[in-house]
Amino acid sequence: MTVPIGDYVGLASVLFFIGVAGVLLRRNPLIMLMSIELMFNAANLLFVAFSRVWAANAGHVFAFLVITVAAAEAAIGLAIVVTVFRAEKNVDVDEVRSLRG
Amino acid sequence: MIHHVMGVDGSYPLLVALWLLPLAGAIFWWTFGPQLKALAGWLGSAAIAGSFVLTLLSWGAGTQSQGGALGAHQALLSWMSGFDFGLLLDPLSLLWTSIITGVGFLIHFYSIGYMDGDRAFARFFAYMNFFVFAMLTLVLSDNFIGLLVGWGLVGLASYFLIGFWFERPSAVAAARKAFVMNVVGDVGMMFAIFIIVANVHSIGFGDAFAGAGALAGPSFFHLPLLVWVCIGLFIGAAAKSAQVPLHTWLPDAMEGPTPVSALIHAATMVTAGVYLVARCSPFWSASGDAQLLVGTIGGITALLGAILGCAQWDIKRILAYSTMSQIGYMIMGVGVGAYEGGVAHFFTHAFFKAQLFLGSGLIIHALNNEQDVRRMGGLAKKLPFAFVAMLVGVLAISGVPGLSGFFSKDAVIYGALEHRHPWLYGVGVLTAGITAYYMFRLLFVTFFGTYRGGVDPSDLGIRHPELAGTMPASHAQEGDAAHEAEHHHAPSWIMNLPVAILIVPSIVAGWLMVGGANSPWSRFFASQFAPIQETGQAVAPSISEGVTSLVVLALVAAGFAIAFVRYGTRAAQADAVARLRSESVHMSPLLTNLFYFDAFYDLIVVRTSQLFGTLFGRGVDPHVIDGTVREAAYAAGQIGGLMRLLQTGLVRFYALVLVFGAACFIVYYALAFGVAR
Repeated sequence: MTVPIGDYVGLASVLFFIGVAGVLLRRNPLIMLMSIELMFNAANLLFVAFSRVWAANAGHVFAFLVITVAAAEAAIGLAIVVTVFRAEKNVDVDEVRSLRG
Repeated sequence: MIHHVMGVDGSYPLLVALWLLPLAGAIFWWTFGPQLKALAGWLGSAAIAGSFVLTLLSWGAGTQSQGGALGAHQALLSWMSGFDFGLLLDPLSLLWTSIITGVGFLIHFYSIGYMDGDRAFARFFAYMNFFVFAMLTLVLSDNFIGLLVGWGLVGLASYFLIGFWFERPSAVAAARKAFVMNVVGDVGMMFAIFIIVANVHSIGFGDAFAGAGALAGPSFFHLPLLVWVCIGLFIGAAAKSAQVPLHTWLPDAMEGPTPVSALIHAATMVTAGVYLVARCSPFWSASGDAQLLVGTIGGITALLGAILGCAQWDIKRILAYSTMSQIGYMIMGVGVGAYEGGVAHFFTHAFFKAQLFLGSGLIIHALNNEQDVRRMGGLAKKLPFAFVAMLVGVLAISGVPGLSGFFSKDAVIYGALEHRHPWLYGVGVLTAGITAYYMFRLLFVTFFGTYRGGVDPSDLGIRHPELAGTMPASHAQEGDAAHEAEHHHAPSWIMNLPVAILIVPSIVAGWLMVGGANSPWSRFFASQFAPIQETGQAVAPSISEGVTSLVVLALVAAGFAIAFVRYGTRAAQADAVARLRSESVHMSPLLTNLFYFDAFYDLIVVRTSQLFGTLFGRGVDPHVIDGTVREAAYAAGQIGGLMRLLQTGLVRFYALVLVFGAACFIVYYALAFGVAR
């Protein structure tokens, strides 16, 4: 049995909006980073699903690319979080506003 | 005789050695000069001597005619189609190369004595070697670009050497003036070369001259392109060869050491214009307008230089104006189409003028850098050798029969008549008379009568004695008693020998031109110059050459007689101080201001530039340019002030903007392309 493509799109949309909500509503940077990962993986899921539908391998390749970029992003994001914590003794993103113009 | 060094394809590698030897010398003395100062003079001269020997060895190759091509050729570099660089040694460049290296060697040798004790002794020889290299580049190139490069490099060498004593502000000013005026000429030449390359698609002399016919067709502002090419080339020639109105740098160039004046500003570099016109004889032969222009300018320069030569008191300036006048003769000769005659005058002039300059150097050296002839007098007894040298030079330049100048000057003057320019003939004859006058004036004032070195300068009419006899600082600073005494000594054999050698060609060089079309001179140049077109073959004038020679001689005799009456008689010698004072004080302002050429340039170029400079400095720069910059900076600040409102520092706000933007895109694409297929 094959899962219809509509189900994949639906699941990916749900995952993506959970991620959006997490970034917009939470104030803990670690949770925000995890929400971003969720959005990445929603996109990955679509890549792979459509790759199956069209019987083309490009989607798989892009999925790996996204995973790599996501790893790099997470590394940088965590580094920023650590640095900000050392400087401000605080990780609440609403309290850290020293970049205001 | 030396055909064994010729390559199979007619290449001639010896030329490269001949050409680069002086450059090697220059680089060596630039690098190791301070360490090996004592050797600089001898080895610097040896490099030029080596080049001269190679030139003599190449004589056979240079004069041969192989497969329709004259002389020896060596390819150097092929850049792209039509842009081939190489060296060419044909009779014309052979003549110039022989003079550059031969007379150049003698002057290098002389400099060992003249520059002795100068603290920049090695630098002097580096510059001199560099000059010889540059001049060889100019005359040996087989294309216009190489010619132009050499043209620029000799200007640079001239700049270095005029400003050699850079402690003196006057020397620096003179060097700068020479360089700037020469650049004016270079620009003219460049435009001529642009026209040639655009129409002929080649820089080689052979291709360009073969395409002279193509240049004669299209016209620009009612003149054929060929005439524009000639005008452009001649602007270059006029600047380099000190032709009116670009002549004012040459007298000032006498600020350089005397050997420099002899080599660069008399014998070789300033004759580059003559070389250029002779080299481009196919252009000039095809254009009557260009002949008229160049012949006229040459005639005017000859006359003007001679007149100004009568009004000078500085021994080197007298010779400088005489050089200008003699180059005027050469330019007149090659301009009207008497190429052999013009080139012949270059040949003889190189010897007797180098000799006159080196002779004056003997005097200047012996009198501890005194250059004002009013403070000399009676030197025949003190410096008998210098007297003999100067006497031979004066006789040669005046055109006394039997000496070299007589034959070559005659060839030029008669050539003007032969090519139907009677006015130029008249100017040439008149100038010959004036030449005799001012040269004998120089001789009488300097060597006859009594020594006037002890007379109060103001009694001689010298208004600014501190400016009159300019003393090089480098010599003056070493003014301890022992050194002073050494400078009053008679010049050493090192300085006398080259002058003695030069006396020989000053007398005999003209004998090569005896015999009309069968003379060795004519046979040497038999297939060098393009025959004159348009005016047809030279028409035999109604006056024979013998008669014109007599006319010239009559004027020379008159010039001598006037000089003798004014300066040479017993009464004139006894009364010399008062007479010189009277002449100095009552000299026409037209002459003391050198026909106002400098004042004119000052008004037109310098003052105008200063006016524009002030205008731009006070008005345009602070208000227009600075104003624009300030306004731009203010606007950037204002825009930045607005933009910083967006930077809240609230990360979740940024994320919201991001999501909102993405939502906008999605809505736009959905509406634009439809939600469903």
